[in-house]
Amino acid sequence: MFKKPTLTTTLIVIVGFLTLCPVIMLLLGSFSQDFVSFGQFTTVKYVEAYTDPDFAAILWNTVIFTVGSALVATLLALFLAYVNTRTDLPFKFIFKVIAIVPMMIPHILFSVSWVLLLNPSNGTLNRLLMDLFGLKDALFDIYTLPGMILVEGLLDLPIAYLIIAPAMSAFDVSLEESSKVCGASNLRTLMRVTLPVLRPAILASAILVIVRSLASFAVPSVIGMPGRIYVLSTHIYRNIASGFAADFGKAAAIGMSALAASITLIYIYRYLTSESGKFVTISSRGFKPTLIKLKNAKYPLFVIVGILSFVLIVLPVMVLFYTSMLPYSMVPSAKAFSMMSWNNWVEVLKDPISLLSLKNSLFLGVVGATIGTTLSIFVSYVIVKIRSTASGILESLSFLSFSFPGIVIGVGFMWFFVRTPIYGTLTALLIGYIATYLPYGIRPISSAFVQIHSHLEESSRVCGAGPFYTMRRIVIPLLIPGIVSGWILMASMFLRELTLSVVLSRPGTEVLAVQILHFAEDGLWGKLSALGIIMIFISSLLVILAAVLGNKLTKMEVVNK
Amino acid sequence: MEIRIKGLTRHYYSEGKQIKALDGVDLTIPANKIFTLLGPSGCGKTTLLRCIVGLETPDAGEIYIGDDLVWSSEKGIFVPPENRGLGMVFQTYAIWPHMNVFDNVAYPLQTSKTPKDKIRQQVAKALKFVQLDGFENRPATKLSGGQQQRVALARALVAEPKVILFDEPLSNLDAKLREETRKELRSFLTELKITAIYVTHDRIEALALSDLIAVMRSGKIIEIGDPKKIYFNSDDKFVADFIGRANLIKGKVEKLDGEHAIFASEIGSIVALNSQKIPVGQNAMLCVRPEFIRLAPEQAAEGQNIFSGKMESLIFIGEAYEGEIRIGETLLTTTIEPTENIVEGDTIFISFDPDHCFLLST
Amino acid sequence: MKKMFVLLLGFVLLPGLFTTVQAAEKMNFYANITAIQPIMDEFNAGQDIDGIYTRISTSKYLATVLTEFSAGKLQADVLQSPLPIMQMLKEKGVLAPYKSPAAAGYPAWAQQDDTIIQFGIEYVAPIYNKDLVKPEDVPTRYEDLTDPKWYNKMVMPDPSSHATTISWLVGLKEAKIFGNDTSWRKFLKGLAANKPMFVKSFGPTPAPIESGEKVLGISMPKYIISKAPAPLDWARVDTLLGTPRGIAISANAPNPKAAKVFVDYWLSQNAMQLLATKVGEYVLAPGVFPPIDGISQVKVLPIRSLSDDEIRSWGKEFRKIFYAK
Repeated sequence: MFKKPTLTTTLIVIVGFLTLCPVIMLLLGSFSQDFVSFGQFTTVKYVEAYTDPDFAAILWNTVIFTVGSALVATLLALFLAYVNTRTDLPFKFIFKVIAIVPMMIPHILFSVSWVLLLNPSNGTLNRLLMDLFGLKDALFDIYTLPGMILVEGLLDLPIAYLIIAPAMSAFDVSLEESSKVCGASNLRTLMRVTLPVLRPAILASAILVIVRSLASFAVPSVIGMPGRIYVLSTHIYRNIASGFAADFGKAAAIGMSALAASITLIYIYRYLTSESGKFVTISSRGFKPTLIKLKNAKYPLFVIVGILSFVLIVLPVMVLFYTSMLPYSMVPSAKAFSMMSWNNWVEVLKDPISLLSLKNSLFLGVVGATIGTTLSIFVSYVIVKIRSTASGILESLSFLSFSFPGIVIGVGFMWFFVRTPIYGTLTALLIGYIATYLPYGIRPISSAFVQIHSHLEESSRVCGAGPFYTMRRIVIPLLIPGIVSGWILMASMFLRELTLSVVLSRPGTEVLAVQILHFAEDGLWGKLSALGIIMIFISSLLVILAAVLGNKLTKMEVVNK
Repeated sequence: MEIRIKGLTRHYYSEGKQIKALDGVDLTIPANKIFTLLGPSGCGKTTLLRCIVGLETPDAGEIYIGDDLVWSSEKGIFVPPENRGLGMVFQTYAIWPHMNVFDNVAYPLQTSKTPKDKIRQQVAKALKFVQLDGFENRPATKLSGGQQQRVALARALVAEPKVILFDEPLSNLDAKLREETRKELRSFLTELKITAIYVTHDRIEALALSDLIAVMRSGKIIEIGDPKKIYFNSDDKFVADFIGRANLIKGKVEKLDGEHAIFASEIGSIVALNSQKIPVGQNAMLCVRPEFIRLAPEQAAEGQNIFSGKMESLIFIGEAYEGEIRIGETLLTTTIEPTENIVEGDTIFISFDPDHCFLLST
Repeated sequence: MKKMFVLLLGFVLLPGLFTTVQAAEKMNFYANITAIQPIMDEFNAGQDIDGIYTRISTSKYLATVLTEFSAGKLQADVLQSPLPIMQMLKEKGVLAPYKSPAAAGYPAWAQQDDTIIQFGIEYVAPIYNKDLVKPEDVPTRYEDLTDPKWYNKMVMPDPSSHATTISWLVGLKEAKIFGNDTSWRKFLKGLAANKPMFVKSFGPTPAPIESGEKVLGISMPKYIISKAPAPLDWARVDTLLGTPRGIAISANAPNPKAAKVFVDYWLSQNAMQLLATKVGEYVLAPGVFPPIDGISQVKVLPIRSLSDDEIRSWGKEFRKIFYAK
C-alpha cells in the first residue's frame, strides 16, 4: 500500500536503533574483560555463566515456570474473553475491568500479597482453610513452582486477555453460524471453529507471556528464592549480587540465552501463522458478533466467574489495601484492626518525591503510550501485511530489548544513553520504555490487523484515498479495539515500569515504581501498598478513559458524522 | 476510455518455484465496452485486473489508461491507485463495516474534497441508480449480500469514473440472486456508457454480460472475441472447451466445400464449419455443443450428418434431460427436450447442424 | 511520511529540553544509604547549596558510577557506599583526597585513609518478634540460632549470593566469635539445618518476622527504629559485625567546594545524631548511638573488606552448605 520497501526500511532503522543499541552494548559487555568499560575481548564470562553445575536444573525450572505461566494466563484469558465478549453473562463490565487489574499492580506488591495469603506458616487463606476443615497442616505452599506459576500467570493474564479479547470480539459470526447450521453444539463450535480461527491471537499471547515471564524478576525473587527455586532471572541476580562489583557482563552473557529463546519463539510463531489469509475474519459481514444466550447456565457461570475473579484478583488487592492501613505487617486479628489508620496514606501524599514521581509517571504513561501505539500501528502494518524477510527482521527487532531479563537490559540502556545528551532526562526514560515495551503495542494491534481483509483498504485506495487517508478513515477505525488494548497495555506498563527506571531515573525524573522499590527495600510495606493502590487507581482511570474513547471512536463512524 | 497494455509480465515465487501470473500480455480494451477476462482460477485474470488498478506492480511492461501512462517499468512510472481515477467492485464487496451506507458511498467524493451538498446529491443519485434510495443511514453490516453488492457498485460509480472494474462480483451470491443481479448489472452498464472490465471464471456470466471476452490461460490471453464468436466459432480448442460444454471428436479433413468441410471422424463423415481453413488431409478436432445435437426421426437415417447410437444414460434436470449417447467408442453429451419419450438403452438417431459444429486445428 | 516522523521525534525530544535546564549551586550526593531525607532537608535549610540525594542500590552502584565516570558524565560531588565499593572507586581514580576536620573524634581506623572516611557500620544482628518469642527463648549467643527449635522459623538473606551476608558470615569466622574454624563451620551447618527462608537482601527480612510468618531472622537492628511500632527487638549477643560505610569527594566534582561543605556537615555530630535517631544507623561519631536499648553497650566491629573473588568463592562454599539436600 505504501511504497513498501521504504516504509519497511524506515521502520527497521527506527526500531533497530531503539532496541539494538542497548543489546549491542550488552553484547560488547558480555565479551569484555572489565565490567563497565569495553576493553579486552574475552569469552570467560560465557564459560563461567554456562558451566555452573546448577545451570541445567535452573533451565528446567525456567521452562516449567514460563510455559506454565503462559498456560495459566492464556487459558484464563480465553475463558474470560469468551464469556465477556460472546455470552450474555450479567455484569460483564466488572469482569472486563478485573481481567486487566493485575496489569496495574506493581508485580512485587502482588507477589507479596499472595505470600501473605498463602504462605505455609500463617498465610491468611491457609489459616482460614485449616480452621474451616480442622486441618493440621497448611493446604497450600506458595513457595513452590506451582505457586510461582499461579502468581506469574495471573500477573500476565491482562497481556493475554488484551490480545485475545479484541480478536474474539472481531470474530466473523458467520463462521460460527455455519458451524451451528451444520448441527454442531456451542461447545463443539468453540473447539472446532472459534479456537482454531483465533490461533494467531492465542499463540501471540502465549509467546508474549513466555517471553515476559522469562524476563520477570518479582515473582522469582519474592516467591522463588524463599522456596529455593531458581530460574534464569534469579540466577542472573545471584551472579550480579555476589560481589560488590556487580558483573553485568556476565549477567548479559546469561541473558543471551533468554534472547535466543525469544527470537526462536518469534520465528516459530511466524511459521505457525504464515498463511495469514486463513485468519482473516473481518469482512463486510458480521462485525458485531451476536451473543450466545446462556439461559440456565447464566447464574451458575456468573458465580464461577465471580468467585474466580474474587479469589484470584480482588482478594490480593484487598490484602494490599489492608496492608496500607497498618503500621507494619500483621496477620488479620483484633489487634491489627485496632491499629489501622490512614497514616501511610497521609505520609505518601505529603511526600514531595512521591508526588513528583506521580506526575512524571503520568506523563510517561500517557505520552509514551501514545507515541508507542502510533509506532506500533506502522510496525504491525509491515509485519502483517508485508510478509517479507525484512518484516521478519522487524518483528524480531521489536522483541529484542523486551526479551532481555529486566535487571540486565536497564544497564544496557544506561551504557547506551550515557553516550547521548539525553542521559538522565525523562526523554531517556520515554525512549527506553517505548523501545522495551514495543511488543505490548505491536502484539494486540497486529493480531487485530490480521483480521482485516486487505480488500477493505484496497478499495479505499481505488476510491481515490491516499495511504494516510486510508489509514485514518479505514484501517485505524477497524483497528480501534486492538489499538485500545495496546494503549492500555503500554500506559499501565509505563506507569509501573521498574527495571529501566531504577537504573535511569535520577533526582527530578523519579517515577512511581522506583519510589515503590525504595519503600520495598526499606521494608515499608504500608507506604508501599498505599502508593501501589494510588497507582492502580490512576491506571484504572487511564484504562477507563481509553476504553470510553475507543468506544466513542468506533461509534462515531457508525452513527452519522 | 481505452486501456492499452503492452508486454505486461508478473512473476511470483512460491515454494521456491517461479510462477508466471502474467506472461507478456498485450491487450487493448476498447472504450465504453463491457470487456470480460475469463479463465480458470490461477490463469492470471485477477492479477491483470489488479495491475490495471494499481494494487499490484508488474515486473515489466506498460499500462495506459486513456492517454495516461500509469505504469512503465522502463520509465519508472507508477501512478498509485488513488490517482488512476477508476472504480472497482471487489469480490468481497469490501463494504466498510464501521460505516453506514451513506458514508460508504460518499467516500470516493470525500477523498476528493467535494462540497458537502454535491456529495449528498451524488450519493442520492448513485443510490437511486442501484435502487437503494432511502438506505443511507442503514449500517453496512445490516445489508443482505445483494444489497451490499449494490452499495459496492454505487460506491464504484459515484465519482463517475471513466473505467469500472469488477473482480468476480457475483461469486458470493446464491444462484437465483446471481442471475437477477447479472441482468441488472448488464442494464446498468449499458445505460452508463462506461468502460467496464469484468473478471470472472463463470462462462455464463461472461457470455451474458460481455461485449467482448478475452479468455486467459497460464498468464496469457488466448483469444478475444464477442460472445457469439467465442461460443460458436472459437479458434482454440481450450477456449471452445472452456466456454461451454463441448463434444470433441477426432478426425481428418477430407474435402473442402466453401465455408464448410467434410470431416472424416471416428463416428463417420460429418459436414462442419471450417472457418480456420484447415487444409485437406490435416488432422483436426470437431467441436459440437450438446444443445446442437438433435434427435432425428428414424426415417431420415440415411441423411447428411445423421448417426445412430445408443442412449447410455439419461438424467432429468427439470428444463431438459442430460443424456449421453454412445456411438462406437465415442461418448457424446447432449440435452434432450423433456417431452421426448426415450429411456436408457434405446437406440436413437441424432443429427448435427453443419453451421453449428466447427473444426479446430489440433 | 517524513513529516510524521519529524513530528514524533519532536514529541520525544521536547520534554528533554525542559529537564536538562538546571539551576546553579547544586551538590549531588550519590548514596546507597536509605531514608536520609531528614538529613538532606536539614542541610538544605542551613545554607544556599541545594543538596540532591540520588539513591542507587548497592548492586547497581559501581556499574552506574563507573559508567557515568568513563563517559565523563558523573554528576556526583559526593559519593557514599559500602567500604569495599568505595575502595574500588578509589582505585579507578573516581575519588579525590579530602581529610575532613569534622572526622577528628572518629576512631583512628575510620579516618586513616586520605580519601575515604568511614562514618558508620551496616550492623547485622539476630532480630526477633517480641510478641512471639518468649523472653527465655531469646538467643544470647550466635550458637543459639542453631537450636532445632528454630527449625522453619527463621529468615535471612541468601548466603550464597548476597555479598553483605557472605561478608558477615566470613566476618564471624575472622572475628573468632566461635573460637576456632571448626566451631564456626558447626555453626554454619546448624544454621543451615534449621532451613531458614532465604530472601534477596536485608530489605525483605523484617516483614516476615513482624507478620509472624517467621519469628527470628538475621537482619538489622535499624529496623527496630524504622519499622516502629513493629514488635521487633534484637537478640543481645555480645559482638555485632557489619560492613563499614564510607564517604568521599568525587575527583571530578562539578562543585568541589560544596562537596567539602557537605562532607563536613555529614560527619558532624549533628548530622550523625539525626542518622542514628531517625534511621537507626550505627555511626562512628563519638558518643552518638541509635536509640535502641543495649546498642551503646555492645561491641560493633567492622568487617574486613573482602575482594569480589573471595566473596564469590565463599558464596560457592555457602551454597554447598546451605543448599545441601
